[in-house]
Amino acid sequence: MKRLVPNAAALLAVLFAAIPLAPAFAHTGTGVSLGLLSGFMHPLSGADHLVAMVAVGLWGAQLGNPAIWVLPVTFPLVMAVGGVLGVLGVPLPAVEPVIALSGIALGLMVALSARPPLWVAAAMVGVFAIFHGYAHGQELPEAADAVAYAAGFVAATGLLHLSGILIGVLVGWEAGARVVRTCGAAIGCVGVYFLLASVGVIE
Amino acid sequence: MSGTANATATGSPGARRRFAALGSLAAALLCLVVALLVPASQARAHEATMAVITLREIAPGRFIGQWTMPPVDMTLQPLFPPHCKWEPPELVCGARGLTGQLSFMGLGSKQSVATIRVVPHEGPMEVYTVSAAKPTVMAARDPGTDLAMWRDLAETYVNLGIDHILRGIDHLLFVLGLIWLVKGGWKLVKTITAFTVGHSISLAAATFGLVGVPERPLNAAIALSIVFVGVEIVKLQRGEVGLTARYPWTVAFAFGLLHGLGFATALTALGIPQATLPIALLFFNVGVEIGQLSFVAVVLALLWAHRQAQALLPRWGAAMPAYVIGSVASYWFLLRI
Amino acid sequence: MKRWLRLLAAAAALALAPTAAHAHLVDTRLGDFYSGALHPLTDLQQVLPWIALAVLAAFQGAQRARWIILVFPLALAAGGVASLYLPLPAFAPLLGLVLVAVTGLAVAVAARLPLGVLLAIAVVMGLLHGAQNGAAMVVTTDRVLFLSGMTAIGYGVITLATGSAIAFLHGAAWRPIALRAGGSWVAAVGIMVLGLNLVRPVAG
Repeated sequence: MKRLVPNAAALLAVLFAAIPLAPAFAHTGTGVSLGLLSGFMHPLSGADHLVAMVAVGLWGAQLGNPAIWVLPVTFPLVMAVGGVLGVLGVPLPAVEPVIALSGIALGLMVALSARPPLWVAAAMVGVFAIFHGYAHGQELPEAADAVAYAAGFVAATGLLHLSGILIGVLVGWEAGARVVRTCGAAIGCVGVYFLLASVGVIE
Repeated sequence: MSGTANATATGSPGARRRFAALGSLAAALLCLVVALLVPASQARAHEATMAVITLREIAPGRFIGQWTMPPVDMTLQPLFPPHCKWEPPELVCGARGLTGQLSFMGLGSKQSVATIRVVPHEGPMEVYTVSAAKPTVMAARDPGTDLAMWRDLAETYVNLGIDHILRGIDHLLFVLGLIWLVKGGWKLVKTITAFTVGHSISLAAATFGLVGVPERPLNAAIALSIVFVGVEIVKLQRGEVGLTARYPWTVAFAFGLLHGLGFATALTALGIPQATLPIALLFFNVGVEIGQLSFVAVVLALLWAHRQAQALLPRWGAAMPAYVIGSVASYWFLLRI
Repeated sequence: MKRWLRLLAAAAALALAPTAAHAHLVDTRLGDFYSGALHPLTDLQQVLPWIALAVLAAFQGAQRARWIILVFPLALAAGGVASLYLPLPAFAPLLGLVLVAVTGLAVAVAARLPLGVLLAIAVVMGLLHGAQNGAAMVVTTDRVLFLSGMTAIGYGVITLATGSAIAFLHGAAWRPIALRAGGSWVAAVGIMVLGLNLVRPVAG
């Protein structure tokens, strides 16, 4: 009983911390809720972004310590740099092909269960983070509520990492490791499709 | 600030303190008994800032509207469905009659509740209540079997109930006192349930006009019930076994009866027609419970968070919340008598 | 000093409570209490750094963290009162965004801060947000109720978030990492919107 009470209280705390937000967002209407929603949907609506984000989580889980914790903490900050470049309209070359390429590269790394030195992995993920952030950042000035939009896509991206890491927990088992590598291969294929699409080979 | 609670709580000899606690309990119950003896008709006077507009059907689809209780805020305007033409005081709705969405423009902090009464050419009067929490209602001709109408009723009165308890700082303070006294666990569940059962019974009784309550003594008695809880907390902290500590749910039930009468004034003020009264009462009570349980949950969560952060009152200040509750409530008591 | 702060808080609570209740008796305008409580919640620019501040405090250990439960709501109330007499400074939106980025970054690196720095951040944030919310009041708003509602929600959110974060930090090694990742995301939001602020001013 004694152990149970704080947990129940914690649950309630979370619940009731969340409840006021619902009417609050409904109440002020468009700005915040729309911004959150459109921001949240943005990384989910483009399959190239989506799979690459999951791949980041998968690879992190394969690499284990310290990548698995360096990655979720530093990725958002690097992405923010890309986001600022996007907001400022600094021209970056070939954004869509690079995003597709990093999908291929990350998918390949996961499929091969590659273990390069940490700085190589960090650089690969970092380049992708900048381009990913750049693509989102370009949309930021149009958002109804910039903070809500940014929070929305940041939350979605973080959840994609998390799902990648959670799937990646499977690497602890032999069969699970195979599943993870298959996921990587699939992600690589999606990347190839988007690369071809972005350079206009396929419609 | 009045020092009634301080005086009753700190008056040093133990016997006197016990007497003081019992005294305030007895006084609260006495007020309750007196209140119960007064006929229901006196329950009319109320404090709610509501506005009522009455629409009388003079020909099929044509109404004459008139404020029976004018709004405090003169910018308040009723909004009718698009097929109706509102040129005060005349409302023309044509063959479809007055059906569809009803609302008020300008509902807010000044005017939180407004009511439209429709007196049709034939049949019983219909009453639609719009509150800040539930800004639109659907008007329908036949509420008997219409599912949407029922849902509408539920939404209106559940929201009204939540609204009422969350605005009723005296009820919340009493519940806070109960939580403080009973700490937590099963005992708290039982105590809160007893309080709920108590106020449900008296709310029903008052709404159906079985008991009538003049507002002032009732509010004074409610204030006194909070003083009582404050005194009990101080007693508990001094290691004495108070009445509430010994019979928590009996005390909670008794005071529940008292507070239920307080809830009823909010409901009777709306002038709900007899036909929809039981269902309105049910939904209102559900709303009150939702609000009350949310409050209990928030308080428990905050207490838990304080323990986690080790942000607890030092021993010399441990009795302070009880004194605050007691002093505030005594101040209200003096205001209300 | 500690004693005086506590006494002051108690006196403030004592002075405010009966007024609010009195208003309930006279007319049902307690609604402004809730509009004051909801107002900060509708603005992520306030809620995000509040939670980041609470997590940052939790990283300093319960002994230090507990001070923001007292200091932050008081600063919030003071900011609200100040808004009655002073106009909102022009740098307010920029400062708000800087606070989002700074608290987020501090959580991301799990910074160990002296108590004074932690409390200074809490005070600056409280004053700023209090003033920003206070500036949202209109002529008909009951100021006492609105500001008490705002203070109450500030206290509630900070207390719940701090307590939850402290409880969450006990246990497995991944837990601080999860909180740091969250702080990093908050910092990312702050940095990007700051970038946007360079292009065009963001409404605060």
